[in-house]
Amino acid sequence: MGNFSLYVDNGTWLNKMHPYTKLLYILAAICIPLIGGKLWLFPLMILCSICLLACGRTLKRALPLVAFSFTLIVVIFLIQGLFYHSNENVLFKVWILTFYKEGVLYAAHIGLNILNMLLSFALFVLTTSPQELVEELEKSGFSPKFGYIINSVFQIIPQMMKSKDTIMDAQRSRGMETEGKLLVRVKALFPMISPVVMSSLINTRERAIALEVRGFGRKNKKSFLSERPKHKGDRAIGAFLVLLIILVIVWRIASCL
Amino acid sequence: MGNVFKTKLTAATIVLIPACIGINYLGKLIASVLKLPLWLDSIGTCIGGCLGGPIIGAICGALNNLIYGLTTGDNITLIYALTSLGIGLVVGILARLGFMETLTKSLICAVGGGLAAVVISTPLNVIFWGGTTGNVWGDALFTVTQANGMSVWIGSFLDELVVDVPDKLITVVIVYLLLKGAPKKLTSLYDVNAEVERLD
Repeated sequence: MGNFSLYVDNGTWLNKMHPYTKLLYILAAICIPLIGGKLWLFPLMILCSICLLACGRTLKRALPLVAFSFTLIVVIFLIQGLFYHSNENVLFKVWILTFYKEGVLYAAHIGLNILNMLLSFALFVLTTSPQELVEELEKSGFSPKFGYIINSVFQIIPQMMKSKDTIMDAQRSRGMETEGKLLVRVKALFPMISPVVMSSLINTRERAIALEVRGFGRKNKKSFLSERPKHKGDRAIGAFLVLLIILVIVWRIASCL
Repeated sequence: MGNVFKTKLTAATIVLIPACIGINYLGKLIASVLKLPLWLDSIGTCIGGCLGGPIIGAICGALNNLIYGLTTGDNITLIYALTSLGIGLVVGILARLGFMETLTKSLICAVGGGLAAVVISTPLNVIFWGGTTGNVWGDALFTVTQANGMSVWIGSFLDELVVDVPDKLITVVIVYLLLKGAPKKLTSLYDVNAEVERLD
């Protein structure tokens, strides 16, 4: 659990893009099909995200993220296809199960929406380092305290993982059972959770003192360690995405009239 | 009552937030190591609410889901940032009102937190997944309600209820036991009504 974030720098142009541009892409990818209201817009945006993931050479690492949501999508298809409240027209029968057209369409809507969101987020997550995002947020006016909170989560979690492993080994060597019946496992919960939580809470006190000694609470302007090189495409792509969203809104309004 | 929402934004509370987010993650991990049929992913949020107050609890909850959503790519978590925010807020308010003082009172606090989770999650479930939650027991119940022709909202509400309330009960009891055992020098850091005595 040393590397908590999924980000890997493989030097493609997606890594060099500004985090905000990628966030705007997520917004566009989610909004366009929802505002447009047509089913074919979902596969279009999904295809678009897949192409971009392939460009960033991260398609392989995006797979486990998508695979994770498959059970959810299958469950939605089963429940909605069989029991959706306005089910009328029979689509097909498998054994004793009858799938209805309305339910399957509704499930397709939800399933494609989930896939679309997952892929656009995967694009952002796999190509943006959290530290970079936090620094850009601070540059555009977020409080450095907020930045500290996020950055320190990434330091604290590997530390806590380590102490969890140590404590688990220690408790096991004292005879605690961690496998077996449910009751046995429930009994192991408290002896495992309390030392880790307690020690991390006690650590916060020390960390707070250390921070205050270093002038954490001072209100003067902070300076930044690294200057990020500007990417030429940021502006053009950003403008293009905003234009697309506006176009879809206009199109929807026009088709309603 | 005016000071229920009183929050001190000192270095101590700022440091508490990442620790609580870490604890949330750890709770979830331990639940999966021990293969418990619970989530236990809001222990930290509840600790944040109890120690720092409702505002800190809410920040812990919301940031927790935002950070995991934006780093592990699990954007299903992202949507439930609102739920976590509600849990932190409600547990924080109830803790300030004195519902974490004894074990029996803390059960009321747990039910409050659980209901907050249910009330906020149900619309999200219906809007995004058509009512399912992804939990086996809850979804089985949802299927039964749908097969019997009940409305999606009632089905989804029950689906959340059977999963969330027991989970929050155990979470809050763990938090209660932990905070009872926490050293005074730690809890006094977060006491809003503490007064600083000067010796000069």
